[in-house]
Amino acid sequence: MILYPVIGDRTNGGRPLFSIITVLCLVIIYAPGFYLLLASLNPDEQLGLVAPTRYSLTWYATLLEDRRLFNSLEESVVVALATAVLATPIGLAAALAYHSMTRMRGVFLLVILSAMLVPGTIEGLGLSAVLRLVGVSPSWVTVTLGHLLWTLPFTIVVSLIGLSAVRSNTIAAARDLGAGPIRAFVDVTLPLICGSLVSSFVFAFLLSLNEYARAYYLVGRQNTLPLYMFGAMNSGASPTIYAFSGAVLVASFAVVALIFFRAARRQGASQPLTHPAREPGRR
Amino acid sequence: MPDKGGGRWRRGAFFLALPSFVVFIGLGFVPLALVATWSLWSFDPDTYWIKPVWSLASYAALLNSGRAAVLLQTAGLAALTATVCTLLAVPAASLIGLLSGPRRAALLVALFTIPFFTSGLVRAFAWRLVLGREGIINKALIGLGVVDAPVEWLLFSAFAVVLGMVAAHLPLAIVPIALAFARIESSVIRASQDLGAGFWTTFSSIVLPLIMPGVLAGFLFVFVVAIGASMEIQLLGGAGASSIAIMINDVMRVVNFPLAFAIATAVSVVSILVIIVADRALKLSRFFEDRSA
Repeated sequence: MILYPVIGDRTNGGRPLFSIITVLCLVIIYAPGFYLLLASLNPDEQLGLVAPTRYSLTWYATLLEDRRLFNSLEESVVVALATAVLATPIGLAAALAYHSMTRMRGVFLLVILSAMLVPGTIEGLGLSAVLRLVGVSPSWVTVTLGHLLWTLPFTIVVSLIGLSAVRSNTIAAARDLGAGPIRAFVDVTLPLICGSLVSSFVFAFLLSLNEYARAYYLVGRQNTLPLYMFGAMNSGASPTIYAFSGAVLVASFAVVALIFFRAARRQGASQPLTHPAREPGRR
Repeated sequence: MPDKGGGRWRRGAFFLALPSFVVFIGLGFVPLALVATWSLWSFDPDTYWIKPVWSLASYAALLNSGRAAVLLQTAGLAALTATVCTLLAVPAASLIGLLSGPRRAALLVALFTIPFFTSGLVRAFAWRLVLGREGIINKALIGLGVVDAPVEWLLFSAFAVVLGMVAAHLPLAIVPIALAFARIESSVIRASQDLGAGFWTTFSSIVLPLIMPGVLAGFLFVFVVAIGASMEIQLLGGAGASSIAIMINDVMRVVNFPLAFAIATAVSVVSILVIIVADRALKLSRFFEDRSA
């Protein structure tokens, strides 16, 4: 997805106002997390900011002793890995199929959108009722099923975006040179979409790791991480939970930022190839 | 991918799509359909489950004043959140789509998309530190001498809930508008400028109508997702704060299954209708066309 500036330098009237509002948006999205991160470096029981010279990792050290936290982290990582392992290939397969669909396309996108947006509480409730009906007892497997439904729309969209950068001429050339559809896929398409498969996997992993509403209905005896954290947050949050929240935030941010950064670089390199018609003439 | 080779490709495509059909139908549609059916059954005190005795009692209970109030309250909160998000998203997405070079546009899109993959729970919780009695805002206000005592309504209030909801759902409003910008032909805007229109004239008479589908879709996306919110309300709202999702959890806890299913059915029907409208507006299917064909 490449966005082009369509207003030149001549008319800039809205720039100051729009910039201020954009900065405001970024502040309300990022500032609280940043503040939490700084507060978690405060060694005192009392919350709030301290001088940078007093920063300490005291609370991060106490994290290592929290058994229940680690059990829930382990459960969440198992679920997130299983979810990502399933959602990535299924999403790619669906995206490949999408390009051969004709009338189904609209319906298919509507289904994807619905799975993405229907409240998680309802999806979780429904799924847990069905699993109860067929006699599956809740465990990490049931959470994984719920998270598969939650993450699949995202892996499909990421794969669709990745595939839209593969020009059909390239595939056609491979086919003309005698490659079968599978050979053309493995030798031409797959290397070109490798990056989006990695993004797809990581996004599915993170979405699952942070999911709360569905897991609430689907967990077995062992809580997942967000469920454990929610409990801790609501029962007189100790500074340990600030430290852990900070760690979760930093880790997720770093991974996604890395992916975006790499994707942008790759896209920058291939830009003239994918959009030859729109390049000349525009700044 | 090219659509060549006729029937063989079609059959291949069917098998490729099959696993995702199984997921969407088996894990998504079937549970919803069952929930809708069971919402018309009755509670069975012998088995602590439901029995196939058809009844509309749950839907009548839905209209009971306390529950109806929560439904309306949640819808109102979702509408307010969606309105504020949209008002902020139009300028932000315009900065991306109109006034930034490709590099900065990509950076801003990344910055607005990243939060989606971080923990919503932690981000809602972080507001507690910012808005609390000992939080940075109250400390700053007292430090500056604006107030003498901590402002109480900052946290555990409707204000905190709306702020947390807006921060959580902004990206959802920005992305569809940014997509709508990507579809605008730059020649249209150049023509408007060549004819002497200034920024605001061009913006209001050319740009705004063209991005309107994205604006509408963004509003509806935020609305639907906000309808299902629970974390922000539980962490930032006052003691009695509720929402539809919290109400469903509470009703399930007292094992009134048919009622929980009735609420879930009503909400999913409304959600899906709203999603259909948003999808019609945005015409999402246009984004994944085979561009080089």
